[in-house]
Amino acid sequence: MQSTLTATIFNIQKFSINDGPGIRSTVFFAGCPLRCRWCSNPESQNCNRAAAVATGDAKLAGREWTVDEVMAEVLKDKDFYDESGGGITLSGGEVLQQHAFAVALLKKAHAAGLHCAAETTGFAAHEVFAAFIRNIDLLLFDMKHFDRQAHLEKTGVPNDQIIENMRYAVKQGVPLIARIPVIPKFNFSFDAARGMAALLVDIGVHEVHLLPFHQFGEKKYEQLGLAYEMQGVKQLHREQLGAYQKVFLDAGLDCTFH
Amino acid sequence: MENKQHFGELTPRLKAFREKVLDAKPYIDAERAVLCTEAYQANKNQPPIMKRALMLKNILEKMTIYIENETMIVGNQACGPRCAPIFPEYTMEFVIKELDLFEKRDGDVFYITEETKRQLRELAPFWENNNLRARGGALLPKEVDVYMETGFFGMEGKLNAGDAHLAVDYPELLRVGLRGFEQRTLEQKAKLDLTEPGSIDKYVFYNAVLVVIEAVKTYAARFSRLAEELAKTASPERKAELLEISRICRKVPYEPAGTFAEAVQSVWFIQLILQIESNGHSLSYGRFDQYMYPYLQHDLDAGAITEEEAVQLLDNLWIKTLTVNKVRSQTHTLSSAGSPMYQNVTVGGQTTDHRSAVNRLSYLVLRSVAQTRLPQPNLTVRYFNGIDEPFFDEAIEVMKLGTGMPAFNNDEIIIPSFIEKGVKEEDAYNYSAIGCVETAVPGKWGYRCTGMSYLNFPRILLMVMNHGIDQTSGKRFTKDYGGFEDFETYDDLFAAWDKSIRELTRASVIVENAIDLASERDVPDILCSALTQDCIGRGKTIKEGGAVYDFISGLQVGIADMADSLAAIKTLVYDQKKITREELMDALKDNFESEKNRKIQQMLIDEAPKYGNDDDAADLLVVDAYNCYIDEMKKYHNTRFGRGPIGGIRYAGTSSISANVGQGMGTMATPNGRKARTPLAEGSSPAHAMDRCGPTAVFKSVSKLPTHEITGGSLLNQKVTPALLSTDENKEKLKMLIRTFFNRLKGYHVQYNVVDRATLLDAQAHPENHKDLIVRVAGYSAFFNVLSRQTQDDIIERTEQTL
Repeated sequence: MQSTLTATIFNIQKFSINDGPGIRSTVFFAGCPLRCRWCSNPESQNCNRAAAVATGDAKLAGREWTVDEVMAEVLKDKDFYDESGGGITLSGGEVLQQHAFAVALLKKAHAAGLHCAAETTGFAAHEVFAAFIRNIDLLLFDMKHFDRQAHLEKTGVPNDQIIENMRYAVKQGVPLIARIPVIPKFNFSFDAARGMAALLVDIGVHEVHLLPFHQFGEKKYEQLGLAYEMQGVKQLHREQLGAYQKVFLDAGLDCTFH
Repeated sequence: MENKQHFGELTPRLKAFREKVLDAKPYIDAERAVLCTEAYQANKNQPPIMKRALMLKNILEKMTIYIENETMIVGNQACGPRCAPIFPEYTMEFVIKELDLFEKRDGDVFYITEETKRQLRELAPFWENNNLRARGGALLPKEVDVYMETGFFGMEGKLNAGDAHLAVDYPELLRVGLRGFEQRTLEQKAKLDLTEPGSIDKYVFYNAVLVVIEAVKTYAARFSRLAEELAKTASPERKAELLEISRICRKVPYEPAGTFAEAVQSVWFIQLILQIESNGHSLSYGRFDQYMYPYLQHDLDAGAITEEEAVQLLDNLWIKTLTVNKVRSQTHTLSSAGSPMYQNVTVGGQTTDHRSAVNRLSYLVLRSVAQTRLPQPNLTVRYFNGIDEPFFDEAIEVMKLGTGMPAFNNDEIIIPSFIEKGVKEEDAYNYSAIGCVETAVPGKWGYRCTGMSYLNFPRILLMVMNHGIDQTSGKRFTKDYGGFEDFETYDDLFAAWDKSIRELTRASVIVENAIDLASERDVPDILCSALTQDCIGRGKTIKEGGAVYDFISGLQVGIADMADSLAAIKTLVYDQKKITREELMDALKDNFESEKNRKIQQMLIDEAPKYGNDDDAADLLVVDAYNCYIDEMKKYHNTRFGRGPIGGIRYAGTSSISANVGQGMGTMATPNGRKARTPLAEGSSPAHAMDRCGPTAVFKSVSKLPTHEITGGSLLNQKVTPALLSTDENKEKLKMLIRTFFNRLKGYHVQYNVVDRATLLDAQAHPENHKDLIVRVAGYSAFFNVLSRQTQDDIIERTEQTL
């Protein structure tokens, strides 16, 4: 029964303006199967959920929501979506982990005339992913590395399934923007850039957002009592990334910073 | 912040002029008081209307005048820039009482010489029991004594000063000159049948108008001669300028303006003289870009002026505009912090045939305001759903400078509410902002479309919980409708609120009407009336019912604190029963000092819904409470009802200027967890740091207020970090946000402070490095440095909307 479906959501962020067109509300789903070492939302990683819940801080742990509750909350800003060409963005954590809920939510949101985007790692079984994107108007699809081994090492999972899903989405004609977190000592190298650019071109992606590494998550690791591998690593600024960006531009991709 | 690249910069000469005005120490100036006293003493036999005209004549003929080396526009209010004249005919009480204190104030400091003190002390006895304050005080019914003693309605300012809060008929002034007004006055006077009893007063009024027009002519002629005199010894370049100034002053404002420079000088003379005639503030320029444009276009077409030269004239005008000042009593500075004159300039909006009214001059006004970066004039952009995109962009560029300007007013709500209230369509489309956020039809509207009584909702709520006895003063304000301990349900509390607010609304009407009558009889403004339609047609001053429209409004203060207090009581006391009524009363009386009461305070803050988060559980409670006031207030006429104007009634308003600080000082601890004597939330903005869901939620909450009834203005301050405006994409999203608020949610007004917290803190620590840092206080901007510490803190604490 749809009405009994719930999901753990740790935030619904209104006036979200960097997650798709117009003014949006971003729904952050708790839980993520990846374990990216630079993650700025460690509380949403599966391996750390228990620690987050233990803090008793609702902001870190999130709470259970029904589809109707989420709809009521996001519909409050419908005037803003309509005026600005905005809508909702499902994000996380990893939204695909709670795909049944997500699909139910997307169907309702579409019925209410909302533009629906999702920010995803793309790490899910093919059938799950396929059902999900049927209800999506824009995918902000993470690409972390082209190399299987490097990917496995720093995110905890291999990238085969992810790449396959990305290919599938493009083939299905879902508008897709690749998002690359630019991380020192991981993919902040020309080799990595060239590899990813080639892969994206091969898949048929046209647009890339570069998200330079930042230290916004540092405090959360402390709060959760977790070790933080990126401790002391300097933030990357746009100015340092011109040559990096050029690799993508030279490959014919529309590449901007976000 | 400057943006020279985009807006260009002041010429070196104007830069020097600006610096000079900014650096000038504001002195109290006794000259006007001396000349006013002289005229009153010489004309004791004259009816007040004629006495006022002769007073203005005496001042304009004799006051000291000067022409600064840097200026192309002339006319001064007092002995130096930002010096404040004294208006003894309104009050001398606070002036004398505070003579030695003006220099010692925390904010809004004025300097005074021993000689000035002596002069003022010398003339004070004449005014004892012989001015508006005295006569107004005597006229007030005994029933309202308690409110005057406690300053509850904040009507002090109304007995200490004139009214203003209007824009006069500048378009007609430029078109026909004062000569045209004189002509019409003579015609009307000739038509009088003096056997009609009512004609005698009209006869006096017309004669008074003729006296002031002559006086203005004399004042302009004095400048013409002075310029000529100065030209004799000036450098060749300056000499040519002075001779041009002399020529212009021989012509305007008496003759119609021909060139743009003449139009600017003409408008400035009147704007200035109206602030010598009376010290009412919020005297506004109206739709400046509309009525000035034909003159600019004429000169541009003729090749007589370049756009750059036009901008320089505007720069010059704004610097001059800043020279006007007003000294307020110490208590009054709390609600008008930063010595604001609220001289508003409105640009943009629609023409009377519903097309975009933006023209070349609209842009030049923005550019000049961006170049001068001064707290005056107060700049308003009229928004409508068809606003020109490039103009909207340009307005946002100005906003990025961080001076809190422009404010946006929304045609989409203001025009229909005016029409609904009986304003003719072509007039409604021609509205302008007045002062801060309030609006009226320039040249046709009486005084104070807002600016009447304050009604402090949270303070009244505390009184309702306390059997009708004011918690701050201990005085009885209303009948005893029970106390908190008697209210078994939220509905009981609300019923007592309903009765109490109605009783206080009636009391405020009595106070307002008595003061209006006193000022009608004692301190009529002649020039101001002559320039407001249709005073000459009716032979009446504005206060006698001369204006075409006459709607007024007071200021309802503490909207958000009221919402949050009601929500806390309903949720925690009545619904969830987490706090008993006794515990809450105890905590409030204790000002949350004890450990237990601190915990209660934390619950009140953390565990109850808050206004500003699009949560009906808070928002709708204040709407209900507000509607009681609106319903009651609508029943009462103002003193002009049935005497000529359309309207003659009141509507609601929340443009509470900086009254949130002053009113907060007079309010004990409130059930939203706010400590005693700390600021209330300003206007219809959420309480500080209580809006936790971002700007869309704030707009949603504000839009639930009955805005079409709050025609006196609904003020919303928002603060954004400079980062929000740093990319074009974000700027677009901010525009979308504003568009939604105006097009779909029908908001009334919004203005943005774009200064980051760090800058403000640094300015507190090192004022010398931030001499021209301007911040949005409420409906207006002021220099950060002249604000009291408390108002500075209040501004720093406002929530920043970030990404």
